[in-house]
Amino acid sequence: MQKTYENTSAIGLGTRFAGRLRSMGLSIPILAFFVILAVLPQFIKDEYILRLLVISLFFGAQAMAFNFTTGFINVVNFGFAGFVGLGAYTSALLVIELGVSPWLGFVGGTVAAGILGFLTGLLTLRLRGIYAACMAWFVQIALMGLATVNVNLTRGALGLVVPPLGGTLHTAPYFYLLLLMSIGIYVVTTMIVNSNMGLAFRAIGQNLLAARTSGVNPTRYKVINWTIACAIAGLLGSFYAHFIGILTPDMMHFKHTVEVLAIAYIGGRGTLWGGLIASFLMTPVFEYLKPLMAVRLIIYGFFLILVMMFYPQGLSGLFQMIGEWIKGRREKGTAGKAESSMEG
Amino acid sequence: MQLTSVWNLFITGTLRGGLYALMAAGLALIMGVMNVSSFMHGELYMIGAYLGWLAHVMLGFDPILSILCAALTSFVVGVLMEKVFFHPLRRKSEKEWLLNAYLVTVGLSFMLQNVALVVFKPVFRGVPAYWEGSIQLSPTMGISIDRMMSFLIAVVAIGAFWLFLRRTKMGRAIRAVAEDARGAMLIGIELNNIYTLSFGLSSMLAGIAGASLLSLTPAYPTMGGVPLAKSWYVVILAGLGNTRGAIIGGFIVGMLESISYYALGAGWQDVVSVVILILILLVKPSGLFGSEVKGMLER
Repeated sequence: MQKTYENTSAIGLGTRFAGRLRSMGLSIPILAFFVILAVLPQFIKDEYILRLLVISLFFGAQAMAFNFTTGFINVVNFGFAGFVGLGAYTSALLVIELGVSPWLGFVGGTVAAGILGFLTGLLTLRLRGIYAACMAWFVQIALMGLATVNVNLTRGALGLVVPPLGGTLHTAPYFYLLLLMSIGIYVVTTMIVNSNMGLAFRAIGQNLLAARTSGVNPTRYKVINWTIACAIAGLLGSFYAHFIGILTPDMMHFKHTVEVLAIAYIGGRGTLWGGLIASFLMTPVFEYLKPLMAVRLIIYGFFLILVMMFYPQGLSGLFQMIGEWIKGRREKGTAGKAESSMEG
Repeated sequence: MQLTSVWNLFITGTLRGGLYALMAAGLALIMGVMNVSSFMHGELYMIGAYLGWLAHVMLGFDPILSILCAALTSFVVGVLMEKVFFHPLRRKSEKEWLLNAYLVTVGLSFMLQNVALVVFKPVFRGVPAYWEGSIQLSPTMGISIDRMMSFLIAVVAIGAFWLFLRRTKMGRAIRAVAEDARGAMLIGIELNNIYTLSFGLSSMLAGIAGASLLSLTPAYPTMGGVPLAKSWYVVILAGLGNTRGAIIGGFIVGMLESISYYALGAGWQDVVSVVILILILLVKPSGLFGSEVKGMLER
C-alpha cells in the first residue's frame, strides 16, 4: 500500500509508464528477452540458425496460446494442431484460389480457426474439460482427413505449394514478422489475463463451484478464452503456411499438439512467458539431437513425465524460485546492514 | 448393394466392434474408477500386439496360449505402470494429481511408441493367420476361422470381465470405488489396491485386443493411434465412465464405421463420426447410455 503511494507521488511519470508496461507483461527480463531476439538477426547471418530461431519462436508462440487455455481455465486443447492447420490451409487457399493479398489471408485464417473454435467451445465447454479436449481432437482428425482426401483442392499428401510473403525467401523478414506477432500475442493475452476477465478465468480454473457461486458464468468465459486461443492458433498457422512454403496434412498430426503441450508444460502451467523460454531452450537442443531419431522423442516423453512427476511448476516455477532466492538474499543483506549500522 | 457386400460389412463391423468394445471398456474402467483420462491406451494395445507376436512367432506358442501370455503380461505391465508412475504421483500431489496423471499418460504414450520404434524397428510384425481355413455359408459368403476366433476371444474376454465385475468380491469393490471412492474407503476397501487392479485389468483388455487381432492388424509402433481415438470416441458417445455403455457402444461404432467407410471413404468417415458426436452432445450430453454416475459436469 505504502509503496504505491510512494510511486505515484514521488517518482511520477517514469514509474507510471513502467507500471503500464508491467500490466502489459513487459517486465524488465521479458523486455530484455525480446530486445535480444530483435537484435539477433543482425549478428547471425546463417540461414539455418535463423530458421531454427523462427521455428523456436513459432513453437513458443503456440505454447503461449496453448497455455492461455490450459493454464487458466484448465481445459486442454487436444486439437491444437488442427486449428493451426485450419488457419494455414485457409490462408493458403485464399491466396492461391482467390488471389487475395496474403495479409487478408492472415485475417481469413484467424477468423476461420476462431469460428471453428467458438462452435466447438459452445458445444462442449459447458461439460467437463475432457469433452472439449476430445471434441477438439476429433475435429482435428476430421480436418486432417479432409485435407488428405480433397486432393483437387489441397493436393493432399503431395503438398500444397504456398507463395512466399512479398516474394522473399530470406528468413530474417519472416523472423521479424513473427517476432512482432509474438509480442502482440504476448501483450494481448497478458492484458486479458491481468484484467477482470483473467480473474474470472483463474477462478474457473481453480475452483469452478466457488466461481459459479460468486456469480461468474463459467461457460461464457470458457468459450471466450477458447475462441481467442483458437484464433491465435489460426493466425500462427497462416504465418507458418507462407514460411514453410509447402503444406501437408501431416502438419495437423496429433504429435504436433503433443510437442506444443510438452513445451507449454515444461515452461510452466499458467505462465505465458514460460513456454516461450522453454521453446528457445528445447527446440534447438532437439534439432541438434535430430540424428538420434526415435531416441530423441523418447527423451522428449521422458522429460515431460519427469517434469509432471517431480516438478509440475515447470521452468517458470524454477525462475520464480531463483527470483525469490535472490530477493531473499538481498533483503537479508539490507537487513544485516541496517542491523550493523544500528549497532555502530 | 449385393448380399455379399452386406455380409462383408457385417463381418468387419462386428470385428471392429469387438476391438473397440475391449479397448473402450478398459478406458471407461480407468475413467470410472480412478477418474484419470488415459491417453496411453493405444500403446497398451500395441504392447499386447507385440507380446502376442513374440509369443507366437518367436517362441512358437500356439495361438490361444500366446494370447493368454500376452494378456497376463499386459496385466503385469499395467500393474507395474500404476505402481511406478501413478501411485507416487497420487501420493505426492493430492489435488493436482489428476491433471498431472493425464499428462504423464501423454508422455508415456509418446515414449512407449518410440521405444517400440527403436526396439522393433518400423517393420510390420504380424502373422498371416492364427488359424487356417474358413467356413463357407454359400459360394460367395464365407468367414475365415481366424476372424471368427478373434471375435470369439473378444466376446469371451468381455464376458469374463463382466462376470468379474458383477460376481466376484473384488469386482464389487471396484464398482463400489467407481460409485463413491470415499464411501468405499470408509467400509474398508483399500483404494490403492483397487486402483492398481483396475489399471492392470484395463491394460489386460487392451493387450487381449492387440494380441487377438494380430492377424488383421500387424504390430507396428504407431498402431495405437487410431484405436485410442476410437475408444475415446466410444467412451464419450456412450457416457463417461460407463463400462456397460462402452461395450455396447463399441459394437455400435464399429458397425457405423464400417458402413460409412464403405459409403464415403476414409477421410469423410472421420467427418461423419464428428457430426454424430455433435448431434449426441446437442441432444443428450450424458451419452447414449449415460447415467449421471460420474457426472459430465466438473466435479
